[in-house]
Amino acid sequence: MKRRRLTAALLAAVVLCAAALSGCAKGEKSAGGEKEITVAVNSETGTLDPAGAIALTYLSYSVTALDELLTYDENGDIEYRAAESYEVNEDSTVWTFHLREDALWSDGTPVTSEDFLNTIRRALDPASGSGYAVYLFPIENAEEIYNQEVSMDTLGVDTPDDHTLVFRLEAPCVYFLDLLRLPVYTPSCAKYADSVDSGWDKDPATSLANGPFMLAEYVPDQYFVLEKNESYWNKDAVRLDRITYRFFDDTQAMAAAYETGEVDVAVSLPSAVMDLYEGRDDLLVTDQIATRYIYFNLNVEPFDDVRVREAFNLAIDREELCRIVGADTEPTYNLVAKYMIDKNTGMRFVDEAEQPFEENVERARELLAEAGYPDGQGFPELTYNYPTLEMDSDTAQVIKEQLKENLNIDIELKAQELQANYSSRYAGDFDLCRMNWTADFADPYTYLSMLLSNSTYNCSGIQDEEYDAIVEASGSEQDPAVRSELLHQAEQRAVGEQFYIIPLYAMKSINLVNPEITGLKQIPASGALEYRYADIG
Amino acid sequence: MIAYTLKRLATGIVSLFVLATVTFFLVRLIPGSPFQNGGVSTQVVEAVEEEYGLKEPLLDQYLTYMGNLVQGDLGVSYQEPDTTVAEIIGRTWPVTASLGLVALLASVFLGTGLGILKAVSKKKAVREGIAAGGMLLAGIPNFAAAILLLLVFSVKLRWFPSAGLLTPAHYVLPMISLMIYPMAVISRLTGNTLASEMGKQYVLFARAKGLGKGRILFTHALKNAWIPVLNYVGPVSAFLLTGSFVVESIFTIPGLGREFVSSITNRDYTLILGLTVFMGTVVILVNLVTDLVCTWMDPRMRRAYSGK
Repeated sequence: MKRRRLTAALLAAVVLCAAALSGCAKGEKSAGGEKEITVAVNSETGTLDPAGAIALTYLSYSVTALDELLTYDENGDIEYRAAESYEVNEDSTVWTFHLREDALWSDGTPVTSEDFLNTIRRALDPASGSGYAVYLFPIENAEEIYNQEVSMDTLGVDTPDDHTLVFRLEAPCVYFLDLLRLPVYTPSCAKYADSVDSGWDKDPATSLANGPFMLAEYVPDQYFVLEKNESYWNKDAVRLDRITYRFFDDTQAMAAAYETGEVDVAVSLPSAVMDLYEGRDDLLVTDQIATRYIYFNLNVEPFDDVRVREAFNLAIDREELCRIVGADTEPTYNLVAKYMIDKNTGMRFVDEAEQPFEENVERARELLAEAGYPDGQGFPELTYNYPTLEMDSDTAQVIKEQLKENLNIDIELKAQELQANYSSRYAGDFDLCRMNWTADFADPYTYLSMLLSNSTYNCSGIQDEEYDAIVEASGSEQDPAVRSELLHQAEQRAVGEQFYIIPLYAMKSINLVNPEITGLKQIPASGALEYRYADIG
Repeated sequence: MIAYTLKRLATGIVSLFVLATVTFFLVRLIPGSPFQNGGVSTQVVEAVEEEYGLKEPLLDQYLTYMGNLVQGDLGVSYQEPDTTVAEIIGRTWPVTASLGLVALLASVFLGTGLGILKAVSKKKAVREGIAAGGMLLAGIPNFAAAILLLLVFSVKLRWFPSAGLLTPAHYVLPMISLMIYPMAVISRLTGNTLASEMGKQYVLFARAKGLGKGRILFTHALKNAWIPVLNYVGPVSAFLLTGSFVVESIFTIPGLGREFVSSITNRDYTLILGLTVFMGTVVILVNLVTDLVCTWMDPRMRRAYSGK
């Protein structure tokens, strides 16, 4: 009796283990010699429709499945994708793109200019919920169409033939080519992509791709599978047969799945992973083209006084801050992302000019005294709003401590749920507010334009005509050297003279990648990993 | 009995109505917008909200929503405009329910078994071992258990996969994390009540009649001892069937609990409301069924309800 029970228990254990092994063994090379990888990505949200309300899932999908007109490689050279050439008129207001005639959708039909227009038209309907619609506004009448003031016929996009696409702009825009990587400038097949709520985008039969991979399966909340697109014009350069993206909503779970071999790549992991994997080939640390900083509310006394803003900036010890917050952060003294590369020089943009300011506690105390608050006396108790993410909570503690020690100022900390933080920020309902900005496109304009007086991202109440004039001039300046000078001048004014913000740090992404995988690239504009031409072994 | 059931159903519907109303207004009180993710321009957020009817007077929106709800229409998710809330429930609930059911059955069987063992064992070490073990297990919150199980059995020993719910092996660790607490409570309840039942006169009488020990235990004592357990199993099954966010999140299980929390983070108003109403319905129904089963098992209550 006893023995039988024991046998039964053992049998059960063996069955379970066998099932376990069959469940988690996910080899890179399957029996048929096919090459496949599994990538862990952050939990899904949003659609795969470039004209819809998109989030991380779309970004993972589009970088491997969709070809934009053209993009820039890591050296800042143009890499033509859906287009094979372009022309621009004298004052950068008319941009003509010639599409690749051999480019096909994954069902074998040609990619035409109408497919590009299809995305643009649909994105300009607010019902699509596209957060990127605002990047179409440089096009003639696009903003008026979005606000439903004029009809769609007046849109400044022409398609004289199937392989020519012409953009007429409202005003000169020298960084227009950088915008082309944004979803709203990516094609969606006009035959199927009709609306954001028909479900075409997640159905492999209708969700066509014009890039190296195409959608093969989409299982909501769990994973999606991309397979090699045999119709792709450059398919000979594509090595992998299949990429599976699995959704995770906990980074700890992601790291565990990498450790057990259930996934081959895990991205954006917590900084503790850096210590665990130190010295191992799996660890891949990449630059994020992003800046964490703090907004002052200029309508709140005494932040209307530039001396107080300067004192705050000079009193913070960013080296110490980064030591405490994590090894994935690095101090920055700029608004423009520290790791953003200037395509004209190949250098980091921020390294081309002098650091806008130097930390100096002595000077900070003097400035505060000049502003009428010697040794912090009489300084009102102001509040710092930040989201309840671990990194921001740690940052807030350190800043509170440093301001107390260096300036004898008390600030009150107010941790908010992420959405609540956004909403109080956009409502201007704060004294100091945490901000993070990841570049939308690879040009300093994506940062500097946020502080324009009429920008909807300007939550600080900055009204600076001189600054506006410099930034606006940079948008139409044709000479790269002169333009670069204008951009540096703008940054110097905003960060080093007027101290509109408190820059804190730039961040690294911590990724784990199976060392067998080769050919991974980083997208220069965002710093994200790209698997288009990856290979195994 | 029928009248009682109908009365309970009617109060259930009133509760659901109140639940939907309160949730509708509470959700709108949370700052934020379904269309704001940090990088979207205010101009765009306002235009999209206008398009989705979120700028209309709140009372109008409420009446529209309740009107649709009465017709069984839970609306469309803001995050996935091509998916209805009903479809999302249809795809996430089976996942949560299958895991919950397995955990429930396991905890009931193991809990009862351990309880019986504790009540009838003649060895002091067994009795005290079960009591102490139960106390210990009841003290471990499921998220701590989940992380510990994940680290030991998945990351270190590689016995079980860590993420998803694709094969039977994927069920093991989340099931254990979910069942630990209910199992401990059930074993304690069963053990205590069974021990006291075993000392009662009807058991003595049965024994005097010459009935076997097993027969006394399973047909007489356990049936009575189980009524308090059943009262506990009701709420626990409601909990297990609506999903634990923490366990679902740690094991990356595409279930209802995870969907619920992400809908709140995303301010997906229709989804929050739909899931709340659905979970409310499950809780009300499970409690009703529990009460009915208890009544059926306990002759004293049966008599009280059947109107003498």
